[in-house]
This record gives sequence, C-alpha cells and structure tokens, in this order.
Amino acid sequence: MSSVWLPCGNYHENYVIDQGWWQTRVIKGKMILLLAIVFIGIPLFASEYWVGVATMIGYTAMGAMGVQLLIGYTGLITLGHAAFIAVGAYTSTLLVLQFPWPQFLLDWGLAYPISILIGGLVAGIWSVLFGLPCAKVKGFYLILTTMAAQFITVDFVITQYVSQIGGRGQAFSLPPGTIKIGPWIIDSDVKSYYLMAIMLTLIVIIFANLLRSRPGRAWVAIRDNDIAAEALGINIVWYKLIAFFVAGFMGGLAGAFWVSNTAALSPEHFPWFLSLWLVGVILIGGAGSIHGAIFGSIFMVLIMELLQMAVIPISDYYPQLLINFAYLKDSIFGLAICIFLIYEPNGLAYRWWQIKNYFNLWPFSY
Amino acid sequence: MELFLMTLVTGLLVGGIYSLVALGWVLIYKCSGVLNLAMGELTLIGAYVTLTFYQMGIPFVLSVLLTLLVGIVLGYMTERIFLDKLIGEPILTVIMLTVGLSFFFKGIIEFLWGTDTRVFTPPIFALKPISIGYLRISPVYLWSFILAIVLLIVFVAFFKYTRWGLSMQATADDETAALSLGVSARFVYAAAWAIAFMSAGVGGALLGNINGVNISVGYLGLLVLPAVVLGGLNSVPGAIVGGIIVGLLENFSGTYLDQYFPGGVKQIMPFAFMAVFLLFRPYGLWGWERIERV
Amino acid sequence: MKRSIFQGFFVSLLAVVFAFGFSTSAAAEQIKIGGIMDTTGATSDVGKDYAIGMAEAYKYINENGGVNGKKIKYIWFDYGYRIPEAITKYRLLKRLGCVAIMGWGTGDTEALSPTINKDKIPYISASYSAHLTNPKKSRYNLFFSSDYSTNARACITAWFDKKWPEKPDYGKRAPRFACSYHFAHPYCSAPIKAIKDHARLLGFEVGPDVNVSLFALDTKSQIMALKKFKPDLVWHGNTTMSVSATLRDAYALELGADHIINNWGFDENLPRLAGEAAEGVMGATPCAFYGQNYKNMDKVVETAKKYNPGVPQNKRLIRTIQAWGDALITWEALKRADKAGDLSGHGIMVNGFETMRNFDIGLGASPISFTSTDHRATTGCLVQEWKNGKFQEVERVDIKKRWPDKWEKEWFGW
Repeated sequence: MSSVWLPCGNYHENYVIDQGWWQTRVIKGKMILLLAIVFIGIPLFASEYWVGVATMIGYTAMGAMGVQLLIGYTGLITLGHAAFIAVGAYTSTLLVLQFPWPQFLLDWGLAYPISILIGGLVAGIWSVLFGLPCAKVKGFYLILTTMAAQFITVDFVITQYVSQIGGRGQAFSLPPGTIKIGPWIIDSDVKSYYLMAIMLTLIVIIFANLLRSRPGRAWVAIRDNDIAAEALGINIVWYKLIAFFVAGFMGGLAGAFWVSNTAALSPEHFPWFLSLWLVGVILIGGAGSIHGAIFGSIFMVLIMELLQMAVIPISDYYPQLLINFAYLKDSIFGLAICIFLIYEPNGLAYRWWQIKNYFNLWPFSY
Repeated sequence: MELFLMTLVTGLLVGGIYSLVALGWVLIYKCSGVLNLAMGELTLIGAYVTLTFYQMGIPFVLSVLLTLLVGIVLGYMTERIFLDKLIGEPILTVIMLTVGLSFFFKGIIEFLWGTDTRVFTPPIFALKPISIGYLRISPVYLWSFILAIVLLIVFVAFFKYTRWGLSMQATADDETAALSLGVSARFVYAAAWAIAFMSAGVGGALLGNINGVNISVGYLGLLVLPAVVLGGLNSVPGAIVGGIIVGLLENFSGTYLDQYFPGGVKQIMPFAFMAVFLLFRPYGLWGWERIERV
Repeated sequence: MKRSIFQGFFVSLLAVVFAFGFSTSAAAEQIKIGGIMDTTGATSDVGKDYAIGMAEAYKYINENGGVNGKKIKYIWFDYGYRIPEAITKYRLLKRLGCVAIMGWGTGDTEALSPTINKDKIPYISASYSAHLTNPKKSRYNLFFSSDYSTNARACITAWFDKKWPEKPDYGKRAPRFACSYHFAHPYCSAPIKAIKDHARLLGFEVGPDVNVSLFALDTKSQIMALKKFKPDLVWHGNTTMSVSATLRDAYALELGADHIINNWGFDENLPRLAGEAAEGVMGATPCAFYGQNYKNMDKVVETAKKYNPGVPQNKRLIRTIQAWGDALITWEALKRADKAGDLSGHGIMVNGFETMRNFDIGLGASPISFTSTDHRATTGCLVQEWKNGKFQEVERVDIKKRWPDKWEKEWFGW
C-alpha cells in the first residue's frame, strides 16, 4: 500500500529525483497548497473555536503517530500510549514550574522548548522500560503488558507521586505567561495552533524519513514476519526497543505540547480511554501509513464536535439528552469503531489511496 | 494473625467470583479465538439486569436464572451481529471490535440506569457477618463463593463430558479440522458467547451484592484480564487459579501495602504482578505455548 | 443509486444541523450565565440533583423578574468530572458570552482559577474548597456555603462536644481519629490538613489515613487496616456512594467507631444505601434538607414539581437546595451590579458579591458576607445526624466565635 502509481508521462532521469518526496508537479502543488492552508489559511480565516478544534486534531495526530509506529509499522499492539504522553506532559510541566533555570535561559525563552525535548526523551526511556518485556512476549500478552504500563504509570506513579510534587493538589496550574518560546508567550489558541502546526510538521518529516531508512525497513520486516526477519540477521529485540523509544519520544512531544494548550494539568487528561481512542483513530484512519493517523484524527475529532453542536439545540426540547450526553458519546464512539471495523477494515487511508490512484491512472483506472 | 487470616479468607472468597468471570473469558478464547476486552461490561449487564428483575419483585434466585436467559439471548445476538463478520480478520481488529462493543454497552447501560449506586433492597444477604472463631465472614462472600464453585464445576463437566463441550474444544484447537468433522462453527461461537455472558452475568450479580451495583463493577471485570494471563489463556483450571490469585493479591496489597504507597496500590497490583510474572513465564501457568512456523 | 440518495440526504441533514448549531446567538437583552456540571462522572451521584436544581433555580429567577427585568439565559454542559473537558467547556462558554459561570468540582475549579482570574469571570462553584476563599490568590472564585475545612472543623468539634463525653473512655485517654478519603482527588483531600490540625488542637490522637476511591464498592481491606488503629472517630471525605460502601463494611467488620462525613457524602441517599449501618452518623450540612421547613423552601419544592415532574419528590436531595444557594446569591449580585450599571465580571464582583453583608437566602443556610479581602461566606456550620429514621440537629458550631484570632489569621485559605 505504500507505492503511489505515477500518472502517465512522468519520467525520472536520475536516482535522486526518483527517490524524492514530491515526485510530480501536481503533488508539489498539492503539498504547497496544504502547507499554505495549514500555516496561513486557518489561523487567519477561521474563528477561534475552529482553531481550537484544529489544535485538538493536531494533538491527536501527534499522539497517534506513536501508536501508528508501534501498531501499523512494527506490529506491536499497544493499549497504553496515553501513559507515555502523560510522562512527557508531566516532565515538561515539572521542569517549567520547578526547575531552577539559569536566568539567561529564561530571558531567551528557552525553558519550555528544552523541556519539550527532555519530556520527549524521558517518555522514550520510560517507554523502553515497559517495552523490555516485549522481547519475550507476543500477541495478547504484549497487549496486557502495555495496559499494565498505562495503569501503573498514570493511575499509580503519576497520580500518587508525581502530581503531589510541590504540595497539595492533583492538578498543576500553569499561570498564564509561564510558557514561552523565544520571545513569544503561548497564551492564546492561535499561538497554540502555530506551535502545533510546527511540531506536527517536524514530527511527520522526521517520522517519514525514519521509515525510509534502515530502522523503518526493519520495522516493516518485523511486522510482516519476525522470525524470517531474525533469520535474515535483523536483531528484532533491538529494533523493537528502538520502536518503543521513538514512539515514546513522539508521545512525549505530544504531551509536552498539550501542556501549552490547557490551563492546568492533571492525570485525568490521560485515562485509559485516551489510549483506546488513539488506537481507534489509527484503525479508522488506516493502519500502516502516516496519512492514516492524520485522517483518523480529523475524522474522529470532527465527529465528536459535530455531535456536540447537534446536541445543543435539541437539548432545549430533551433536557435528558444533555444530562446523559456523555453516555451517548461513549456509545456512539463504540458503535463507530464497530461499524468501521466491520465495513472498512483498512480505514480511510485506503479509500484515499484508491481515489488518488483512480486519478493518477486515468484513463486506465479500473 | 487475625488480620492475615481475614485478608486471606476475603481474598479467597472474592477470588472465587473473579474465577467465574475469568472462566467466561477463557471460554470465548478457547472456542473462537477472540480476545474479549468487553468482559467488564458483560459483568455490568448481568448485575443491572438481575437488579432490575429483583426490583420488580422476583425472588433473587429466579432473577439470576432469568439473567442467564437474557445472557444467552444477548450473547447470541452479539455474536451474530458483530462478530460473525470478523471471522478470519487479524487479531487487532477483533480486539478493537470488542473494545468498541464495551464502549457501546457501557454507554447504553449508563443511559438506561445512570451511574448511581443501587443496592438490592430488601437485602438478600444479611449485613451482619457470620462468626467462625474470630473471623468475620460476610454471608455475601460465602454464598457467592459457593455459587461460583458450583458453576465452575458445572462448566468444567460440560466441557469434558458432553458432546457440545467437546465440539467446542475441537473448534478451539483447530477450526478447519473440526469443520471437516461436521462441527458447526457458528453454533460453537454463539454458544461460547452465550456462556460467557451467562457466567459474567452471574458474576456481576454476585459482585453487585457486596456493596451495591454501579459502574465500577465494570472495572472489576477488567481485573479478569490479569487473572487469565496468570493462569494461561487457554486453560480452564488456569482461569480458576488465576482468579483466586488476583483476589488474594488485591486484598493483601490493600491491607498491607496501602500504608507504604499512599493509596491506589490495590487496583494496580494485579497488573504490576502480571507484568513481572510474564517476564519469567511468558505463557502463564498453564497456557499453551505457541510454536510458530515460518 | 440508492447510496447517493442516502448520501445526499445525510449531507443536507448535516447542513441543517450546522445551521442550527451556529444560530445559537440569542435575542437581545439577555444575560448569559454558564454552567459546568457533573451528571455522568465520578461525583454524579450528587451532581445530577445539583444540576437539575440549578436549572430549576434559574427558571424560577426568570419568572420572578430576572435581573431587574432582564432575562437570564442559563447554558450548561456536563463534563463528567474530566478536568480537560471542563477547560474546553469553559472556553466554549466564554465564547458564547457568559458573564459568570456556575461551576462544580474542586479539581477543575482550582485548575481554572488562574484563567478565570485573568479573564475576570466570576466562578461560583459547588466546590467549597478553602483554597478558593482568599481573594488575593483568586478574586473571582466564590460559593455560598462555609468551606470544607470549616465544615470539617465544625464536625469534629461537634463530636468532641456532644458525643465524646458519653463514651466510657472519656477522661481516661485521648480519643483516636482517622481519615478515610480518596487520596489523589483534590475535592476529597481539600480539608484533610485542616481537620487533622483541628484534631490535634482538641487533643485527639491522629492515626493513618486510608484511601477509599470515589467509585469503591469493596472497602474491606481498608477497614481492616483501620481496625489495627482502633479509632473512635472516622472522617469520610468522599461522596455518598463510596461513603455508604465504607459504612457498610465498617458495620460488617465491627469497626466500632463513630463517623463524621463531609457535606457531599451526607444526604437523603445515605441511609437508603447504607441501611442500618448509617444509624448515628453525623455530617456537615450547609443548608436544610429537601422539604424541611425553612424560609423559601416552599418555592424550591414548587419549582421542582413544576419543571421536573418526572423525578419523584422523595428522590430529591439536599443538593437541589445547595444549587439554589449558589443561584440565589448570583441573582442578588447580578441585581446589585446591574443597579450600579456595570455588568462586567469585575463589576459583578465589586458591586455585587462583595457588597453582601449577612445576606439571608433562607433555606436553612447561614447569612452570607463577602468582602474584598475575605471570601469566606459564613463562619460556622450546622452538624446533623441520622438517628431513628430522620435527620436531627447536633450542634450549630460557630468556628469564628470559638477561636476568633485563629479564624482571622491562621486558618484563612486552607
């Protein structure tokens, strides 16, 4: 599913161009348009509410990237990713709030960016810690180990210990003004959106390039048939651990970003439901491609927002609906996953690929 | 000493109920290969359905039997509507489907019954404990344990001695071979889910008796997963032993470790223990080892 | 062919829904008040009744003149005690133009506190955490009741005054005290430091805390851990669900202690859930129980029957009255601010709330005063107990009167 068929009439004359990212002028045009919309169009023209929704989509996509790496590319099923996002978020917050930064770093506004990176690193290392059993277990047992990681990390370590650092209270409040990148203070939805767009683009670039290199090919080999991969000389334990590290790192970055978007941080931001949500996003979007993560995020977040908006006017007539709305949301989410899995097991990305190829192969597409 | 014995006894008794639910889980896995993450919600359904029947005035034992019937119907319907389509799909799809089902069920239950705690009124078992020596045992626990053991014996006998049980085992072992011998795979799947609903339902009704029925009965259902992993995914006696171990772990960690680790150890101890245990015995105590062929 | 018809219908349905959704901009001369409630989450057993009580209170306010003639549009959402959702809903309400917000839980109220102070939106919460009563830290947080720490101090004082002298060991040794609550939850842990401080002040021996989750159904191991300490008095910091489970287990395991309960764990549901285990337990009540004979209670009952006839009267709880408490003080503050001509957040605070001196809302609550340096609404609390099938008063403890300088200086804000 990874290759894109080029339209007739496109020839490449050397290897460098052949391996390029954007292979035809049409694709180049499309991508530049996309970047323009993301970086210029939305912040300038959309209302603040939709910018907030877009930030939410970006956050989900960043979290989903890590899950996509583990599930879609390495075949390691993980139900505990929210734990690593939480680790990144808490590390970053603690560093920003508690660490005695030297004054010049604070003046230059480097405290938060550095804390993002360190948050990612710590999350990656934590992820490797829980990935160690993965060398020995497979299939369902791995799922349960990741679930254990989720519960132990969020419900125990963070709730009981980490969140109590610095005094009473489960929620860390971030006073407006503490989050600075360079000279810009991140205190509004629009600025948060820009940060999200930049981070997401960077993550996608890094991830895509990683997939084209040696570790990426090793991961796909492990997913397809790990015994054969080992027979060919790939050290599967090593590459699995690297997969956990990178996935944890990306999750940590997502978590550290999330901190700038909320006024306060508490363990409830990262329940087991979030892990399941991310896996659902991947499955609906399509496992095994970066598009999948992004499509899935867009779809899921938009559906939830539409539901919310649809309920407001109806609730004047049926107040019961508003009281029980959260239940409806849960059941609709569950039903959506079931329906997608039954009727579209390959996800939205597969449909996108089909549509793209239809146009690429025209008039010979069938 | 008294504290130790009381914790031990409580752990064993609660573990009996977990074993019952774990048994249902293992059944589904053995017969159809489906890893069911919706077990918690099945337990919930059983608890609420029994509660509803009981509050309509039907005596408790009859309510439980009616719950069994409802469980059979629901199990059959679930299997037909959702799981039939997924025969042969990769494992992740099936797991996520059960996750989706669990959200769906949970949403429906919360919508119909709300999240308040409800108690069985008038109470079925007396609140005052039975004294054996210096141990105080609540009648709830005792009767639940006895009922759980009885049902376990019934199920194990079903599997070993009846034709249906044997055909279910055959399907679990090798579906194609069983099909070639004339076993109806669809019947087996439906039966597996029906039995799981039944056992979870009874487990839920019993758990609900302890202190009331509310959503967290579903979280107790989640504890079933470490139980089956500890005992081995394919093994019925493993499920029983696993359930009891989880009950003991929970209670011991609650009583002794709560003071060292402020709060919350009780819930995660089974998971933590399981994670460590898997490092040494990756297939649980009695699980079948997978021999892979390239 | 069929599919495209279906798709066409679906798209137009979505369009209609979109149109509806965007047309929520209302008519003129309306004051918008937002609400963030918990009807589905961890504290929903008490939250649901509070939410419907709040909605009824605002309907009553609109029928009785509104704010000097202007109607109030009350928009509320359920956030299920998930703090991130509270933040999202807050943003939505801000976007919709609300001038004040009726909040709910301690976790999100404290988390949102810096933000609402920056946005200058008064936040009248159902959380009575003492951390919110210091205007220097949080100018825009308030509530009508005495705070959790005051309630806790009042409960333990009432037990010490009235119940301890009746015990056989009175005079021979120090009474023993332990706390049972959900450690990690901000609402449950809010008054613990204060109550332990007060226990030591009164001469109690304080034992180890036990952790009982808000959702707990089985607390036997926690009770067994408590039994080692043999307490005379146990404080319960959770809501009714888990408190009733703890009481039942304490009864079943014969713990032999008296129980004092925070106000969110003590309502008409408790004896229903805990049965005979609830006999003799005491708790803090910021106002009267539903239907008790106090000023204005008839209006509450009448409005409840009118707007929610589907909810049986015997299922209504004290939470409705608590909701009315917050709604009534907001109404009064809005009226005063409107008369002074300034309905911005700052105006409502300065010309509305902070001008209240001993404002009486009836409903069994104490008179309410706010100043610009002290947002503690009242100085004491009524402690009641459940005995012989009904709630009875034990003592109305006035903390300020008994310890005036500690009230002024030491105990402010925690």
